[in-house]
Amino acid sequence: MFKRYELHNHTTESDAGITCRQLIDHMLADGVDCFAITDHNTVSGQPIIRKILAEEHLPIACAYGMEYTTYYGHIVCPVLEQYVPWDSINRKKPELLFEAAKRAGAVTGVAHPFSYGDPFARGCRFDMEITDFSNVDYIEIVNNPEPLHEVNEPGILWWESLVLSGVKVAACAGMDLHGLDSFAMKFATYAEGREGGDPVEELKAAVAAQRTWVSKGMLLLWEKAGDAVRFTLHDAKKPGFVPAEKYILTLKTKDGTRAWDIPSGGIELPLSEIGECAVPKLYGGDTTLENLVCVAPVIRAEE
Amino acid sequence: MKQIYEVEGTLNRGFVGQITYTICLEDTLSKLDIHFSFDGDKRTFRPEDVTDALIRETIETCRRNYALEIDEDRARGIILGDMKTEIHTLATLNDEFLGCIHKQLTDRHMLYENGTASEGCVPRESFEGVLKVTVLVFNVIKDKTHYRLTVSGE
Repeated sequence: MFKRYELHNHTTESDAGITCRQLIDHMLADGVDCFAITDHNTVSGQPIIRKILAEEHLPIACAYGMEYTTYYGHIVCPVLEQYVPWDSINRKKPELLFEAAKRAGAVTGVAHPFSYGDPFARGCRFDMEITDFSNVDYIEIVNNPEPLHEVNEPGILWWESLVLSGVKVAACAGMDLHGLDSFAMKFATYAEGREGGDPVEELKAAVAAQRTWVSKGMLLLWEKAGDAVRFTLHDAKKPGFVPAEKYILTLKTKDGTRAWDIPSGGIELPLSEIGECAVPKLYGGDTTLENLVCVAPVIRAEE
Repeated sequence: MKQIYEVEGTLNRGFVGQITYTICLEDTLSKLDIHFSFDGDKRTFRPEDVTDALIRETIETCRRNYALEIDEDRARGIILGDMKTEIHTLATLNDEFLGCIHKQLTDRHMLYENGTASEGCVPRESFEGVLKVTVLVFNVIKDKTHYRLTVSGE
C-alpha cells in the first residue's frame, strides 16, 4: 500500500495562522496518513500535538520536526524531535548542520531551494553551497504555494541534475502550510508502507532508499522484469484529484528526455531506454509542466 | 517580576548574524519574561526613504540574484512592500532549548509562567542556571536600528 505524507506545515507556534489543533483537523479531513509539524526554528508545537493525538487516539500519524530557517536557506526536517542549534551556520559548509541534525535522528530536506530571498525575504532562497549530499535526505522539488515556473521548475531541474550525476537524494513535496489551504490538485509525497506499519519509520526508510513519489494523486509505478521495465498507474485516491483523459510517461536520462503514451494497462520498455539512470515522470494530457502529475523514484541500471 | 538584565543597542544596515547575551540566574525562578523590542518605524521603508540609489540597488540585486529584470515602479513596490527589518529571538537554559519567536513582531515577550509559555516557547516549571538569549538578525534595512532586551523573573 501507499501512504500519503504532508511534510511541511506550520502553526501559530511560529508564523502560521492555524493552531496545532486546526492543523490536525485539516490533515484528518483530507485523509492524510502522516503529517509533519515543521515550525520555523522551534519544536514547541510537538508536545501539543503529541498530547492531542495520545488523548484522542486519532487515525493519523505525526512526524515531529522543525524547519531550520537560516540566513542562507531553509532546511525542512519532518523528523527532528530535539532542537539542534544552527548558530554556527556556515554558508560554505552547510554539511556541518545537516550532519548534526542527522546525528539527532533527523530526516533532512532542502526546502524551496529557488524561492526568492533578498530583497524579498532574506533566507528563503537556498544559498548554501553543498558539496557533500550524504546527509541530505531529500530536495523539496515542489513547494506548492511557490510559482511553478520561477521557483519549482528550477528545483525539479536541480534534483534531476543531481540524481543523473549519481547523487543519491530523494524528492519530496510540501504544502508549506500556513493556513487552511486546499490540498486538491497539489503535490503530496507518497511512500510504500504496510497496513498497521509505522508511517514515520516507513518515511525514513523511503527517503533513505530514494523511494518517494511526488504526486497530485496518480502514482507512476515501475518494476524491472528481466530486460524490461514495466510501468503502471496507481490511483492514490487523493481527494480533489481530477484524472486526465490520457497519460504520458517521460524518461529523462543524461542523453535527453523521451516520451510515451501510457495506456491504462501500463507499458513495458526495454531496459536499454534507462541507460545508467533515468527519472520517470507522469503527465496528464501533454508534457507541459502545468500537467505534471507525478515524479516517480529514479530508476538505476545497477540496482 | 523583578528585572534581572537590561541591554540596549543599535544595528547597522546590512548586518546579518546573531548576538547572544548570557545571563547567570542567581535564584531559581518560577516565572520568566524575556522581552525584546526594536524600532517599529525602522522596520519598513516609508515613501520618503525611497531614493534613486535604493531603487538602483534593488534593480541590481534582482538582476544579480534572480536574473529578474524589474522597472523602477516594481523596485519601488518591492522596497515599500517586501523589504523589512527581520529579527527573531531564541532562548536556551543550560544549553537546552527554551523557545524561539519567529513571528514578525517589533515587540515580543517570551513569557513562561504557571506551566504555560508564549507561542514558540516550551513550557517549564522552573528556571535555574545559565540563560542565553540570542537575537537572530536576518535583515536590517536602516542604520542605527535601536533594540532593547530585558529579562525579568520571579
